[in-house]
Amino acid sequence: MKRLVLAVLLVFVIAFSAVAQQAVVSPALFEEIGKPGGELVLGLATAPRSFNFYGIIDNAAYTILYNIIEPLVEENPATGEIIPGLAKSWEVDESGTEVTFHLRDVKWSDGTPFTADDVVFTMEHVVMNPNAEGNSVDRFTLGGKPVLWEKIDEKTVKAILPSPYGAFTRVLTHALMVPKHKYEPFIAALNDGVEPGTINQAWTTDTPLSDIVGTGPFVLSEYVVDQKVTLQRNPNYWKVDPEGNQLPYLDKLVYLVVQDEQVMLAQFRSGEIHRVTITGQNYPGLKREELDGANYRVLAGSPVSPVPSPPHLAFNWDVEDEELRAIFRNDKFRQAMEHTIDRHRIIEDVYNTLAIIPGVPVLPANAAFYNPAIEDIMREYDLEKAKQLLDEVGIKDRGDGVRVLPSGRPFELTLTTAVNVQPHNDIAVILESEWQELGITTHLQLVSSTLVGQRRTAGEYQAIIEAFGNQPDPQLRKAIWQPGRSLYYWHRSTMDENQEPVLANMEDWELRVFDLFELGEVEMDPVQRKAYYDEWQAIYAERVPVIFIAKGMELQAVSNDIGNIFLRPNGQIVGTNYTAFVK
Amino acid sequence: MFRYIVRRLVTMIPMMIVISILCFTVIKLQPGDFTTQFLTDPRITPEQVAQIRERLGLDQSPVVQYLTWMKGILTRGDFGYSFAYKRPVQELIWERMGWTVAVAGATIVFSWVVAIPIGIYSATHKYSFFDYLLTFIGFIGVSIPSFFLALILMYLSLSLGGTAVGGLFSQQYIGAPWSWAKVVDLVRHLWIPVIAIGLSGTAGLIRLMRGSLLDVLGTQYITTAKGKGLSQRVVIYKHAVRNAINPLISVFGMQLPELISGTIIASIVLNLPTMGPFFYDALINSDQYLVMTFLMLSALLMLIGNLLADILLALTDPRIRYE
Repeated sequence: MKRLVLAVLLVFVIAFSAVAQQAVVSPALFEEIGKPGGELVLGLATAPRSFNFYGIIDNAAYTILYNIIEPLVEENPATGEIIPGLAKSWEVDESGTEVTFHLRDVKWSDGTPFTADDVVFTMEHVVMNPNAEGNSVDRFTLGGKPVLWEKIDEKTVKAILPSPYGAFTRVLTHALMVPKHKYEPFIAALNDGVEPGTINQAWTTDTPLSDIVGTGPFVLSEYVVDQKVTLQRNPNYWKVDPEGNQLPYLDKLVYLVVQDEQVMLAQFRSGEIHRVTITGQNYPGLKREELDGANYRVLAGSPVSPVPSPPHLAFNWDVEDEELRAIFRNDKFRQAMEHTIDRHRIIEDVYNTLAIIPGVPVLPANAAFYNPAIEDIMREYDLEKAKQLLDEVGIKDRGDGVRVLPSGRPFELTLTTAVNVQPHNDIAVILESEWQELGITTHLQLVSSTLVGQRRTAGEYQAIIEAFGNQPDPQLRKAIWQPGRSLYYWHRSTMDENQEPVLANMEDWELRVFDLFELGEVEMDPVQRKAYYDEWQAIYAERVPVIFIAKGMELQAVSNDIGNIFLRPNGQIVGTNYTAFVK
Repeated sequence: MFRYIVRRLVTMIPMMIVISILCFTVIKLQPGDFTTQFLTDPRITPEQVAQIRERLGLDQSPVVQYLTWMKGILTRGDFGYSFAYKRPVQELIWERMGWTVAVAGATIVFSWVVAIPIGIYSATHKYSFFDYLLTFIGFIGVSIPSFFLALILMYLSLSLGGTAVGGLFSQQYIGAPWSWAKVVDLVRHLWIPVIAIGLSGTAGLIRLMRGSLLDVLGTQYITTAKGKGLSQRVVIYKHAVRNAINPLISVFGMQLPELISGTIIASIVLNLPTMGPFFYDALINSDQYLVMTFLMLSALLMLIGNLLADILLALTDPRIRYE
């Protein structure tokens, strides 16, 4: 009898552990249940420069590696919610400073078990390694103190935060776990005679592909220099579809390196590539072909991801000319300029109607942080209002249609933007004509985007059209939007030469924004965090430190041979490589 | 002759040093460096950028950077390290050498094989219909930029139902072992780059061959040869062409660096896995040692090409002797 009980128990334990290893993927990612087999071919604009996620800053490498290695917690690609990843669950203690992660029972693709050691190693020696060029030290440092990692047992890890940190799980979604047994030889702190920079030489493009192991849905199987990267399915992947079928469906995932956008499109049309991101210019042509019966569908999704970055207009608050400086710092002037921006016309003319009114800068689709109140604060296109406000600022029409500054000098603006970014270019031309209407002469300075970046950093501009992406969590972009940070470029004097914020140089409302970001960082309660960032958005909408112009929609074209890449009812494009399948 | 060659080889050394100094100066005159791109990345703090610059040695003076790089070459044969790829530059260049030389070689062979006969035909049938026609095609070849011609050819191929757009192979053959089907696939792709890139060179060569041969055909010894009663064939191929070919041999020497540098824009448009686009990226990123090594290799090929051309001239033309 005792034996029987034991046996039954054993069966239960085995059954339970087998189930525990797998996880059902959110049904939101499925249009239909797929079937196994086949290959998906995608384009890549540049060849990967390395396979080391933390050694370089290279979008091609990131694109590939997101199929291979995985974070502790994930972002649901459809809803943006934080969901379990390699950590099957976690709990936060009462103080909000200790987070305990329970790891999933999975193996690296070479058969080595994934354990707490891998997590502690990845976080301490790779993600938070200041010598790794693609590190995230900054995201895991609070008030100058690093997050500490502690192994509890083989499958449990504890993170000890210096203070509560609201965006902690969100930043963790970008910290992909690497195998300790492969990365260890490159770490200076663990080996004698290894230089600190050696971490960047792990997993370079000449590494034997069998050494590049992960826990993700695919593993690398072939790299042909500058031509093609092939990945194969990981047969032991831990995710299953809602009916319990093993994922991924695809046998192979192929990335073709195609540098030229037009060639990529040509290859898509000829059926060589299955899915491409397209621009507003290509949309009408492809859509017509789709309606004429071409074997593909063109999807226009509502913006949810940080790219394409929404352009904004900014003025240099620290410009040399003292009179202009005072004007650029005047709220009324910037509000007048917001009235000169015809967002609807720009969306129609520049984006072929495939864009939306942006947030400031949180996207309307971002339910966790968007503050709808800004819609009433943002200023409509109204040149009369603009004229009136300019008069109030003291920039008046001298009688012949030319507006002059209080000193009597004609008001002329130099507008800098990137000549190689078509929307920015087109917007600049539209603004020039609007400003002409007001009696302001505009000198367009169209230079390469690299040069725009340099001018911006050096403060050598008057007005500029630039773009920064909108991350789901504002905390992750405090370097841009919090006064006194390195990319708060329109008001650089809020930061001293040691990169420290100078509170004395901030306007009152900038001080409030500064505080809001500090408060939001250490708050764990999502409701309270949203309240802080709501206030920030309202201040930005009112004071317009920068004027957000438009946000392009996400445009893709997908072969009809591929399933589970589709528009959700809320208008957003969904489609992951591990749920896609060949019909 | 041997002494001449040795002397030429020895003078290449100071020449290469001067070229390297010039190249390095030009690279350093560019605003910014490899780390400039990090300044706009919200994930990287300015202190980290400073750390990276220090680790890469970019905080040192350009003179020190240059001397360190030179020392590596002279003492260890080490041409430096690519900032972008985190690997030694000679490895990266070597990885891409095969296809680069193959495509450029095919293009050069194409342009010569087409140009020389046409040039001869044009010269010997001066002012005939076909002379005008071929000259006209030649002018088109000179005036259309190769990347544009590439786009037109791809468009034509695509609209006529072809699927071979860009690259050297269809997707399934990339990286596959060689087979008859793979060779066929290569040929189906290769004709576009060979014609697009080769045609501009072809046109120039046709003009050169035609002009040079016309000059020779007008000389008195050709009249003499004809007067002696030699056949037209012998007059043209044995006497005229042999003398008319000299300027082309000099041109041939200049073409050697094209084996690796080729036409960058056409290669990007045609999606060729060659050195051109790779070099372009390195330039954009200020990946300085990669750019330097590439430029040095290109310069070396130029010098060697010139030397080879001079040697060939001596072999083909008994009047030329180097003492």
